[in-house]
Amino acid sequence: MSDVAQSEFNIRKYIREDLFPHFMCPGCGHGIALRALLNAVHNLGIDKNRLAIVSGIGCSGRVGAYIDANTFHTTHGRPLAFATGLKLARPDLEVIVITGDGDCLAIGGNHLIHACRRNLNITCLMLNNEVYGMTGGQVSPTTSTDRFTTTTQSGNYEPVFDACKLAEGAGAAFVGREMTLQTPALRDLIMEAIAHEGFSFVEVLSDCTEVFGRKNDMGDSMEMVLAQKSGFRSNSYGTAVDEPFKPRGMKTGVLHRSERLEYAAAYQQHHAEKSST
Amino acid sequence: MTERETLKADVPAESLVHQRPTNVLVVGVGGQGVIMISKVLASLSKELGHQVKQSEVHGMAKRGGAVFSHVRFGPAVFSPTIPEGEADILVALEWAEGLRWLPHLKQDSGTFIADTQQIVPPFACRNRSRGADLGYPRETVPDVMEKIANSFALDAVGIATEMGVAKAANTVLLGTLSAALDFPVEAWKSVISEFVPPKTIEANIRAFDAGRDWALSFDRQTHLKDWTGRTVRSPAEVVDSAAGITSTLEITEEWCKGCDICIKFCPERCLAMDARQIAILVDPDRCTGCRICEWLCPDLAITVHTQTNTDSA
Amino acid sequence: MSTDQNLQNLQGNRACALAAIHAGCRLFAGYPITPSSEIAESMSAELPKVGGVFVQMEDEIASMGAVIGASAGGVKAMTATSGPGFSLKQEALGYAALTEIPSVIINVMRGGPSTGMPTRPAQGDIMQARWGTHGDHPTVVLVPWSVEEVFAETIRAFNLAELLRTPVIILFDEVIGHLVETVDLARFQNPQITDRKWADGKIEGFKPYRDPGDGVPMMARPGDGRRVHTTGLSHGESGFPTQNAGEVEKFMSRLLGKIAKHRDEVERIDARCCDDADVVVVAYGITARAAHRAVSMLRDQGIKAGLFRPITLWPFPESAFKAVAEHARLVLVPEMNAGQLILEVERLVSDKTTVAGLNLFYGEPITPQQIVEKAEALLSQ
Repeated sequence: MSDVAQSEFNIRKYIREDLFPHFMCPGCGHGIALRALLNAVHNLGIDKNRLAIVSGIGCSGRVGAYIDANTFHTTHGRPLAFATGLKLARPDLEVIVITGDGDCLAIGGNHLIHACRRNLNITCLMLNNEVYGMTGGQVSPTTSTDRFTTTTQSGNYEPVFDACKLAEGAGAAFVGREMTLQTPALRDLIMEAIAHEGFSFVEVLSDCTEVFGRKNDMGDSMEMVLAQKSGFRSNSYGTAVDEPFKPRGMKTGVLHRSERLEYAAAYQQHHAEKSST
Repeated sequence: MTERETLKADVPAESLVHQRPTNVLVVGVGGQGVIMISKVLASLSKELGHQVKQSEVHGMAKRGGAVFSHVRFGPAVFSPTIPEGEADILVALEWAEGLRWLPHLKQDSGTFIADTQQIVPPFACRNRSRGADLGYPRETVPDVMEKIANSFALDAVGIATEMGVAKAANTVLLGTLSAALDFPVEAWKSVISEFVPPKTIEANIRAFDAGRDWALSFDRQTHLKDWTGRTVRSPAEVVDSAAGITSTLEITEEWCKGCDICIKFCPERCLAMDARQIAILVDPDRCTGCRICEWLCPDLAITVHTQTNTDSA
Repeated sequence: MSTDQNLQNLQGNRACALAAIHAGCRLFAGYPITPSSEIAESMSAELPKVGGVFVQMEDEIASMGAVIGASAGGVKAMTATSGPGFSLKQEALGYAALTEIPSVIINVMRGGPSTGMPTRPAQGDIMQARWGTHGDHPTVVLVPWSVEEVFAETIRAFNLAELLRTPVIILFDEVIGHLVETVDLARFQNPQITDRKWADGKIEGFKPYRDPGDGVPMMARPGDGRRVHTTGLSHGESGFPTQNAGEVEKFMSRLLGKIAKHRDEVERIDARCCDDADVVVVAYGITARAAHRAVSMLRDQGIKAGLFRPITLWPFPESAFKAVAEHARLVLVPEMNAGQLILEVERLVSDKTTVAGLNLFYGEPITPQQIVEKAEALLSQ
């Protein structure tokens, strides 16, 4: 993917300025992810009139509203279901889903695996901050072992999901992971994900500084962002059941890419064949 | 009670043993420990045989929203909330929140205990640009002391930080509060020990003592003198240190929430936080235009302009 | 043997699917559930022929979500289910009501609660259809009594959904869903079709939730350059969330009031022999057919009976009903449930006349004889 943009990226062209400052907490990684996404949209030359952002509920769900596009803030866990209908109805739209770890993996887990299986041309960004931030900091399916949340007051004892392995296993055509610390790499990954034909899943390692970081003494915003690199999430990603993650074992970048037939194309092809026979 | 007399030097001492409940209102913003203070007080009152009612309202389920908690205790308590003008003590963990709740304080005899810490809540204030009206109260400590005889403004965060436990500002205030109530010191400490993480008990007890000592050695005249001419950090009056700087770095101050990321990540150390907790460019000459601040600003508040034609100018 | 191609034997569920396509439905998202599955099956065969999309989603909630998504994109969409699935869709239904995204939801009612009697008829979702989702919301519910009426009301459901920008629910009972009747499709050759009021004119300053006067805002079509925000949070005219009491009050008043502003188009009733009726039987769906027969049996015995059949169940056609029921000696409400619509009937006329129910909920349709016996027993008291 080329790094050279047609024109200099001016973020103000892609946001709803009158809604700023945004509602996110100081240091929230979701803002960094938002920039990376908008930069990717710019570099790909996507017309914002043709851009549809679909989000669910939670801190991640509120991010979409700041984008100057056709934005849909739907119900908890269902943005992928909603996006499926939208994309099927309007293949001309570039549909991007912004969801969170709770929204996507817990209440919306069923929709994720089937969206991956179906392989409709949608890009799904899962902003993973390991916690339910909006509701005050409850444990999520990606909260690391031993982390404190308001519903794991003595530390988390549940195993975690590796969302990327899940997506790959379920059939997503493109799977990638990047941290907000590596914003340019994150932008490039999102560009690849959008450009890839079929269902693309991108896990963004984001930070909840105010709710999760404070509760776990993870330092200030800067320290949390830096820690993404040092592997403090080492227990979070890997084979959740048998092998705890090794420090620095967390893989980022493009994790899986395949040229499976995209759903809408498959649908067209199938019915064209059936009607001609 | 000598302690109370010290605290109420300006008005006649009044017995706390009365039929009406004692009303303590604790206010602040999310994340400061409002609820912890009220829990300690409620628990202590119960242990000492009072009826207690504690009701709290959280603003947002997130940090930064206004939080307040009513604690009422006495021989018999019915209503869970304190009516306007009926609070015996108002404990404020944030200056502006304290001022906002002053009408709830009992006229003439109410005690006001406030941390001078200022937090401009991100949601309460849309425009943080220089010179803009922040809607943030400007009353200073002497202003308030003039209006409220029993007012005690202390830099609890500063005291706690000095003791190496910055998070224990609320415990410092508990110490100050303890001087205004007739409960045995040991009972306070034992309840506090139940509410703080075990590893921090000792530090919290020290913070409690510091807050209590501050109150017991309080002298109104010295205090007034100390604060006269000084203001509680007033966001609008900060010197514009970035004035006259021509730089390719554009900071949208209204959007900056002061998370510190840009300042800490800047390899050239050319950014700093001003007194309003807004990032400013202090050393433009050292800025190399590396864009780390722009990329990592969660508030989308920084833009680096790289215009080659002006570079040579 | 008739050679008229327009005369077709159609099952209720299939008629619904064909009518939906007639009405312009081009996306169906569903999930298998008895006794509604034939609607999905018909759609899966028919929609591709007209360039539409059929998708069987992973669950009931996803089906509703996909329907709302498609409709938000500007394509008429429908889903079909039965009681348990209808419950699962309720949250999304509330979202559609609040965001004012049109959709059509078919609920083929079966015995309940829970799994109940999936292959047996019931009318147990009358109140779920009205109050199923959380919070105050506008509701339009239609209830046909024949296969031909299924066809007509399905088309009308799409028209109302577009006209009012709101989800419209059609309640069948299992009998209507599986009933095969001859339908004269000639009647539906050129149905009147209502399309959405798409926003036109100036893009600058467009307010997606501004009341143009009839309570139903113009909708922006994604891609038209308006780039609006759609949210399930309470919002003002701009579409962006607000907690301002005045704005929310204004929004909610319009939302709840817009149906009333189109009452004439929404309300539809079928009143038979009601003008001189001493006994008014209020019935809907398959029960109304038994009631219709019961009315003529009662008339044969010299009892002046009439049938009042709301085709639009919600909003209940209040004034039309009051006009026929207030002067009756007895209002009888037979229902295949423990007494749901009777609550509304009692609310309207119990101060003027006697209201009684006939409530059978064991999975068998109510017979005309049972209604006649009940009426006789009540009259002899």
